[in-house]
Amino acid sequence: MRIKTGWAWSVVVAPVLIVAGCASLPDAATTRQIAESVVKTGFSATPEHAKRLVQDRSQQICSTIGSAKLTPEEASEVVKLARASIQYPQSGKLAGDWKVGAKLAYNGSGSRISGGNLEKAKENGALCSNCHVIDPKEFNVGNIGPSLTGFGAQRGNSEAMAKYTYEKIYNAWAYFPCSNMPRLGSSGHLTPEQITHVVAFLIDPQSPVNKK
Amino acid sequence: MLKLRGGIAAIALICLSGSGHAADPLAVGRQMLAEDNPGEMWVDRGKKLFYEKRGPKSASLEKCDFGMGPGKLEGAAAQLPRYFADTDSVQDVESRLVSCMVEQQGFKRADIAKTAMGNLDRMSDVEALVAFIASKSNGMKMNVPLSHQKEYDTYKAGEYIFYRRNGPTDFGCINCHGENGKRIRLQDLPNMTDQKQMQEVVSTWPAYLGTQSNLRTMQWRLKICYWQMRLPDLAYLSDVSVAITSYLNHQGNGAVIQVPGVKR
Amino acid sequence: MSEPMKIRATLQVDTADVRILMLHPMETGQRKDAKGAIVPMHFIQNVAVAHNGKSVLDAQWSQAISRNPFLGLRVKGAKVGDKISVTWTDNKGDQRTDEVAVAAGQ
Repeated sequence: MRIKTGWAWSVVVAPVLIVAGCASLPDAATTRQIAESVVKTGFSATPEHAKRLVQDRSQQICSTIGSAKLTPEEASEVVKLARASIQYPQSGKLAGDWKVGAKLAYNGSGSRISGGNLEKAKENGALCSNCHVIDPKEFNVGNIGPSLTGFGAQRGNSEAMAKYTYEKIYNAWAYFPCSNMPRLGSSGHLTPEQITHVVAFLIDPQSPVNKK
Repeated sequence: MLKLRGGIAAIALICLSGSGHAADPLAVGRQMLAEDNPGEMWVDRGKKLFYEKRGPKSASLEKCDFGMGPGKLEGAAAQLPRYFADTDSVQDVESRLVSCMVEQQGFKRADIAKTAMGNLDRMSDVEALVAFIASKSNGMKMNVPLSHQKEYDTYKAGEYIFYRRNGPTDFGCINCHGENGKRIRLQDLPNMTDQKQMQEVVSTWPAYLGTQSNLRTMQWRLKICYWQMRLPDLAYLSDVSVAITSYLNHQGNGAVIQVPGVKR
Repeated sequence: MSEPMKIRATLQVDTADVRILMLHPMETGQRKDAKGAIVPMHFIQNVAVAHNGKSVLDAQWSQAISRNPFLGLRVKGAKVGDKISVTWTDNKGDQRTDEVAVAAGQ
């Protein structure tokens, strides 16, 4: 949330209006102050888990309210931060095993907190099918994101395409600032190795994603 | 209802394949369940509990003021959340109920929090009471006030939180509830920026949840949202939940309340 | 003690539209509790509906029926004031009967 230049004025005015018995919608700065304090105290969290509630710079920019739009400067800043966050696997190989990727794509679990405890899982799932149609034969899939059916068939499986796909999954905001898509790699939810398998699932010609 | 839907789900499968778009062959069944769903049993139980002398102070809830005067329940839920002078805070049905259970009946807040949500072995008292109190506004229009400064503050805080991107998923409520026709896997999502859909939401909670085999309140629904968003446990009756409820209910003003709803 | 059923019987011309809500765990015997132990089978095996004492429905249920089941049926030849009585019996031998009078429809 950007603090508008008029905040000092409204902070002075607001208490006067309240004293005068005239209640009104708080301005952006006051709202932010109240809401952030509410968020800070509204969860039962260990100090470690409470860190998840703290917004990073990009999340702050992306929390536009209602029909508010990003300025070009804000959009650039988010993209720049996203690009800078991208880390590649040690092997340098960006497309892994599509069969491993398939399992990850339909795995919607991992990293959830319940009763103060972190979910017990062998590894975090890639969560893809929560939002995306992928293999057209699998119907238990969401539609918040675009269909990925034929992803590789349409785009090919070149080095460049593997790199684009890898980066998109690692940090989607590098390509679409404030996208609905979580920044799966930079948040640590998925490891670089896991991402390479999902990349393969999407672009490998043998993957069911690309077979008719 | 879970097992009954096992056979019905097979029909839904056939309609879904290919296009991925859910038609509704279950419309007739849903209508029947909306008219008579197990949530009614919670309403009946809640009525019994409301008038019973309970707790260390052996008192009923008849003196509880939900904003229309002590013990007056008709239309009370329709104007909640609202500001209450005695607690100097904005409260929704459930937080107001629990205040009364603590103050007037002598229950301990921590004990209530532990048993507020029922499971497969035990119905919860709080969920039954919320169902009963909410049902006393059936047929009436949601009419959440904005007049006290704290009501304004809570409403705007709720809006802010709705759009706040947070956690490892970078999710705010808006990311799943901001467009028409969206779903997570096979669960349809209401677009909370659309007034009509918002009205449908606020007028059908609390609801009997087939997958929970229990009547659930908005406390439960928000808790589960935050769980899926990979954020920490939402504190029971926290100001976050009241703020969001205040925002949603006010946006849904005009909705005709019909509870208990029935949902998957 | 088991919770009472909620029964609504509304007359539509000459047919009573009967809706019954029951609270019952309907355990299949396959579910494991938090400690990992099997929760034993506990489900309604028989539901009998009578209209003025005469049997109109006799159902044999199994574990396939959901928890907190809902049963709807239509009884022909009913009049306002007629008695609709519902009895369920479960595999533990528990039984419950509840009764309503047919009410006039809108």
